[in-house]
Amino acid sequence: MTASIRARGAGVRFVFDRQRRPVTPAMGRLRRHCETNWGLRGVDVEVGPGESVALLGGNGAGKTTLLKVMAGVYTLDEGAVAVEGRVGSLLSINGGLMPELTGRENAVLLGVLAGLSRPQAFASLESVLQSSRLGNAFERPVSSYSQGMRARLGFATILESRPQVLLLDEVHEALDDDFRVDFERISEEIRSAGGIVVVAGHDHQLLSRMTSRALHLKDASLIDDGPFDTVLGGYLARDRGEAASR
Amino acid sequence: MVSLSQSDLRARYGRGPWQLVKWLLDPFALVGVYLILVTAVLERPGEAPGLALTCAVVPFQILTLTTTSSMTAVTLRRGIIANMSFPRAFLPLGTTMTETLAFAASFLLVVMMMAIYSVAPTTALLALPLILFVNLVLAVSFAYAATLFGVWLPDLRPFALSFVRALFFLAPGLIALDQIEGAANTWVRVNPFSGLFEGYRAIFLRGEVPDLWMILIPLGWACLIMAVFLPIYLREQGHFAKVAE
Repeated sequence: MTASIRARGAGVRFVFDRQRRPVTPAMGRLRRHCETNWGLRGVDVEVGPGESVALLGGNGAGKTTLLKVMAGVYTLDEGAVAVEGRVGSLLSINGGLMPELTGRENAVLLGVLAGLSRPQAFASLESVLQSSRLGNAFERPVSSYSQGMRARLGFATILESRPQVLLLDEVHEALDDDFRVDFERISEEIRSAGGIVVVAGHDHQLLSRMTSRALHLKDASLIDDGPFDTVLGGYLARDRGEAASR
Repeated sequence: MVSLSQSDLRARYGRGPWQLVKWLLDPFALVGVYLILVTAVLERPGEAPGLALTCAVVPFQILTLTTTSSMTAVTLRRGIIANMSFPRAFLPLGTTMTETLAFAASFLLVVMMMAIYSVAPTTALLALPLILFVNLVLAVSFAYAATLFGVWLPDLRPFALSFVRALFFLAPGLIALDQIEGAANTWVRVNPFSGLFEGYRAIFLRGEVPDLWMILIPLGWACLIMAVFLPIYLREQGHFAKVAE
């Protein structure tokens, strides 16, 4: 299967009740006083096989929402999205990890949720242990892990499902230098095998090494799409311009 | 589903030899003291009152624990719901499995009560899988409804739990059906819990195969609840990640 991502007019709406708590759209329709806020609106984007794309933008711009749409975590409220290929996503450092469980137990749970069968998840444990480099900590509860160790466990686990579409949200920024080298190598392997890597983050140096294209999101909309350096230049200029005008 | 339940149970009971001890003692801690009080201290009328009560409390606990856990299922699992794409339709099934496995040890209470009252097991035990099946199907239907309720109206969770408890008191839970007289004896059977409680009593207390109504009425309720809530659940599950964060 060839990996691809196609979004047309993609929109995700968040509905909040009177106490500013998020509610489902159905509940929002039943309640009289609700506020809506678009996390993403009118986004058209197409990513083909072998591409690696960076998502740029300030906090609340819509990067995470777009990644969650691609990962199938969010259902669209308008528009359409089609993702071809096995998806592996790491959208937060603690994403899916249960703190009371050990690294080994979490690896089984996350492996199954990422699409492995239970025997496959158990068979992958040695490999997860090796690639996460957690050593004895693998048998300890995740609550005792540092942010970096959690990121390594999550990353090593999702790689076992052999993703063709890899989606990462700032998680790589918690990794140490050694592991970042591995991370860049693996991302490159996925890309050169015809897969797709989409990464959101603020470490522009790392993103420039890993990606050739960037999408600039602002206020839930896609405002620029093109070569990484060009889009980054526009993003920084706009950012600085806004900071100066403030 | 199995992995979710296994993770829940491990998080709840820990690891090693104490895991089994905790699992065995949990139901005793939850309802055992109450049952011993009723059996040994309070004078209650009827045949083997402690066993009759256990036959109501055990299936009720599975239902009430499933309801309680389901109402917080999305909040408790927000880590995976907000970060991973997986079939969320399994959540209520996983919760039911967890609570059923967690409370499975409570059947030791039934055995204990049978021993205390010298009630011998009969071939009616062969009907146990059937009544267990009905119990689980009803628990699953409660789980779907409760998960949605917990997402929609989190502030009203205690009221939903009170409603389930009220159903217990409106069913022949504390008093067996044969001690209820008049029209109430007929009407109380409409309660989804009545058939279950009496089904367990038929098997363990009287050594009889449960009557048809004891199977059909709870099953009918389960089908009705599923028919109403499952389609809504399937439509709403795509938005759980927005609410979970």
